[in-house]
Amino acid sequence: MIPSSPPPRLPARAGIGLRAPHYRQLLAELPDIGWLEVHSENYFGDGQPLHYLERARGHYPLSLHGVGLSLGSAQPLDRTHLARLAALVRRIEPARVSEHLSWGAIPGRHLNDLLPLPYTEEALAVVAAHVRQVQDRLGRQILVENISSYLRFRHSSLGEAQFLAALASETGCGVLLDVNNLYVSAMNHGFDPAGFLADIPPAAVGEIHLAGFDRAGELLVDTHGSRVAPPVWALYRLALRRFGRQPTLIEWDTDIPELAVLLAEAATAERLLEVHDALPA
Amino acid sequence: MLSLRELQELFAAALDAPQDAALLPLLVADRIAPGERLAVYRNNARHNGREALRAVYPVLEQLVGAEFFAAAAERYRRAHPSTSGDIHDFGRHFADFLAGLAPAAGLPYLPDMARLEWAIHEVFHAAAPPAFPLERLAAVEAAAQARLRFRVSPACRLLASPWPLRRLWQLHQPGVAWDEGFDLASGGVALLVRRSGFEVLLDALKPGEYALLRRLADGQPLGAAFAALQRTAPALDLAAFLQRHLLASTLADFSLR
Repeated sequence: MIPSSPPPRLPARAGIGLRAPHYRQLLAELPDIGWLEVHSENYFGDGQPLHYLERARGHYPLSLHGVGLSLGSAQPLDRTHLARLAALVRRIEPARVSEHLSWGAIPGRHLNDLLPLPYTEEALAVVAAHVRQVQDRLGRQILVENISSYLRFRHSSLGEAQFLAALASETGCGVLLDVNNLYVSAMNHGFDPAGFLADIPPAAVGEIHLAGFDRAGELLVDTHGSRVAPPVWALYRLALRRFGRQPTLIEWDTDIPELAVLLAEAATAERLLEVHDALPA
Repeated sequence: MLSLRELQELFAAALDAPQDAALLPLLVADRIAPGERLAVYRNNARHNGREALRAVYPVLEQLVGAEFFAAAAERYRRAHPSTSGDIHDFGRHFADFLAGLAPAAGLPYLPDMARLEWAIHEVFHAAAPPAFPLERLAAVEAAAQARLRFRVSPACRLLASPWPLRRLWQLHQPGVAWDEGFDLASGGVALLVRRSGFEVLLDALKPGEYALLRRLADGQPLGAAFAALQRTAPALDLAAFLQRHLLASTLADFSLR
């Protein structure tokens, strides 16, 4: 058997999400962006979307971002879902594979949302076992992302960042730092996002996400439906100081705008990456 | 102390029932009431279900209007909770659900339009089979041809309706102007939904052609399927049929049993 070439690493540049409305334009124009992100589940079907993804794969490194594996469910992982993810990873050879620090399934039912966990030793053991299972099945490290949350459980004994750090240390997984999620959660729960950054070991971070949020009454809600907000850009600069130059995604999933708007947001992230490089360490 | 499993069951139940207060004492209470916090997740659940259906059923939404569609989507979500982490599976039962939805009874073509949009969704995501084994077919002896059992491509769907579904669907595509001459009573249609290159195509089939494809899809051997249609579709040209559906990749493979 001829060994295949190793998948490309994600460059420490700005990337954008590849979404259906932009398939044709993006592949026709091939804009100068560092990489593309896609939701893994959109390519489970082996049909037309995968055809576009394979073409995109020829031009850009890819990051597969899962939303449905439910790493935090007390029940066993869905083996069919994991098998479909594994088949997609074999076929696409993405530079990165990631999932969320959340749960969404109970026996017999899927809630199709990224729901918050209690940050307890019990939950850590559950998530760690699932992360190990996924990494063993895929034969590679995955990144796990901090979520936006709107409530917290009284019996949590750890913070989300401490939980993520412990998870990374126990399983060897990396951290996908979503700066917008961090800002949304920090505002919703009244904690200091800088303290969160300080609790994450720098070597664990492998990708950063940026997106827009909305407001619902007194809560900020993560909608991925607008531009990155100024305080999120400020927190991003702080994150770059701690974690160094990182592959950075502009996420936009609802009310998807013209491709040019996404590219402009990516250009802003790219400028911040370059400014970061120019600053003394 | 609740186990993680118990907590997650309690959370799922609380999402369904706004008056369910069992989860609230477990949540951190601060300047924002726990009930208001939980309401964000209830709203997300409604929103995610509705958006998943809107993505698959854009013509249905135009036919009934956004408000009716949202209400139907919410009832559907409660009647058929999602069972997959892949939200693309969620709308599978929407046609049957609409068929039993009393407020939709005045629009009897809705369930068939739902079946058509689900077929388009499935065809878009379905894997294309490998190329048809033409050389193997050419080697089949004439005497054995009646025993050919064709496999219809998993990237195709057959759909028959007493309504002019194809025209109605076309009239609700982006940028297509309404046709004042459109008549809902203008008769039914038999459709082959298939993929060609980047597009999902809706091919109108003659009744005999549709019936033959349906019989082949059900696993009948070619000879018996064709003979059964001699009375109802005497003009069906078998050679032209095979040529068309080999070219269109409707037929994916065959066996001789």
